[in-house]
Amino acid sequence: MVTTAFRELATSYAYKKGMPNIRLTFVPHPITGMPTDVVRGYLQGNNPVTGKPILDEIVAGLTQPLTAEDQATGLVERPIPRLVSVSDTEEKLVQLFHDNGWTDGLPIVLPTEERVAAMLKGTSHKPDELVGSMQPSSPHEAWSYTVEKVAVNAVMAGARPEHFPTILALAASGVTSLFTSTTSFARMGVINGPIQKELNMNAGIGALGPFNQANSIIGRAWTLLSMNLSGSGRIGQTYMGSQGNNFNYNNLLFPENEAQLPAGWNPLHVQQGYKPEESVISIFTGWGFIHADQSFSKDFHTQIPHWLQFISPFSSATLLLDPTIIKQLKTYEGFDSKEQLRDWIFDNTKLTAKEWREDYYSVQNFVLPVGRKGDEPYASWMKLPDDAMVPRISRASRITIISVGGETNLFWQPGDFGLTTSVSIDKWR
Amino acid sequence: MNRNNWLFTGLWVLTLLMASPTQAAEQKLTVLNPLGQPPAITKVPMAPRLDTLAGKTIYIVDIGFTDTHRLFTEMQSLLGVRYPDTKWEVRTKIGTYFEDDPKLWAEIKAQGHGMIIGVGH
Repeated sequence: MVTTAFRELATSYAYKKGMPNIRLTFVPHPITGMPTDVVRGYLQGNNPVTGKPILDEIVAGLTQPLTAEDQATGLVERPIPRLVSVSDTEEKLVQLFHDNGWTDGLPIVLPTEERVAAMLKGTSHKPDELVGSMQPSSPHEAWSYTVEKVAVNAVMAGARPEHFPTILALAASGVTSLFTSTTSFARMGVINGPIQKELNMNAGIGALGPFNQANSIIGRAWTLLSMNLSGSGRIGQTYMGSQGNNFNYNNLLFPENEAQLPAGWNPLHVQQGYKPEESVISIFTGWGFIHADQSFSKDFHTQIPHWLQFISPFSSATLLLDPTIIKQLKTYEGFDSKEQLRDWIFDNTKLTAKEWREDYYSVQNFVLPVGRKGDEPYASWMKLPDDAMVPRISRASRITIISVGGETNLFWQPGDFGLTTSVSIDKWR
Repeated sequence: MNRNNWLFTGLWVLTLLMASPTQAAEQKLTVLNPLGQPPAITKVPMAPRLDTLAGKTIYIVDIGFTDTHRLFTEMQSLLGVRYPDTKWEVRTKIGTYFEDDPKLWAEIKAQGHGMIIGVGH
């Protein structure tokens, strides 16, 4: 039984799992938050899809004899040809790509043999080498892809060969930029190491905006390859974000402003165990950032907990700090490292156990069930008195601090992003 | 170069300038397919259906999503009235809805005759 909003998802999922004729019954959507008498009325009424009584369909699903097709076994292959089956004019092929759902709706560069061959010169890896696999979210099927397939999508995004190793690293991460959920997830990509300079990336004024070719194109390529190499982003089937997320266009891709980090404040990739001379992309998952309109007449660090109150205790926290603020924290407020600031934030950003238990959908859906199984610290937090305090961010390691910006003022952006993984770019040169 | 040659050259250049964009736009291109490789699908035969519900135990499994339990207890109640000779057993799967629950599946296989599962989203 599924609500009508998930009809296409349920049907396509059943097909991919090898049971296309599974007995499905649909009830009106949503159930969440509806009064009980309304829910009962739904069950006593008809399936909005078939027009048949829901309870009759449930019983039929249990008792109606199976057909030969219902009992079929075997393997269904799904070959993907190397070339698009039709040759046509540029205008018509671009429209075909749009119509097939292979683009983000913006103009693309068509992946001709010549352009793909030129892109492949950006890496030492062979075109037929398997890069990895990716799925729209963990229950969905994973698709696999080669270096050449990644190159096709890089061409479409407008990338140049020198961008290709970073795009390959994103593909090798196996992390789709279009994670499907009814919440509208975003991803973020932070680049560290010498590749920043090699690609002339922008970590200064406007780093998060549309002002730099590498920042823009690599981020966009991640979306295109997620759509095409993993089947992500098919609305109704592999994408269910109710409102969507504008960050998905280029996935907040930017380089950390390493050059302005003071002594003791290590770049993000060094914090993850890489050497400073290695080029790395770190992938984050979250939903959004806000502008922190803090007072300049108070110590900066004392204001951070206030601005983190919007973050769900289910989430992580990421602070995008302009280097001006980092220098103030180091020079005048005594924070000698990112880790020292992170630990202070963890200790001073809390909410009551009652708020933790009762105010957040994601805690109720994803954390309390884990606590009920006995997993700590959640099992203990569930037993605390209402006014006891618990950390808003469950572990200090879930707080990330990143330097970005051009020092035009002491501003920063807190967000609910958490580090998912870090991937070597050098491996794909 | 005489006057006729100049005229010929001029016309030729003009023709090139006018014709090239059109020809390029109408040129047919062959392009690579951007799609990755989906896995093969293994067809799974469905479980045999019941000839009757009388005397049978049917599990109704709540996967733990918000308000699914309320939907399914209402369903249990309505089906219980309509089919009093059938035992309608509501269970909530352990953990989050991403987690497997082999213990529950074993119980249903041992004690149940059918199962309804779903999401009241």
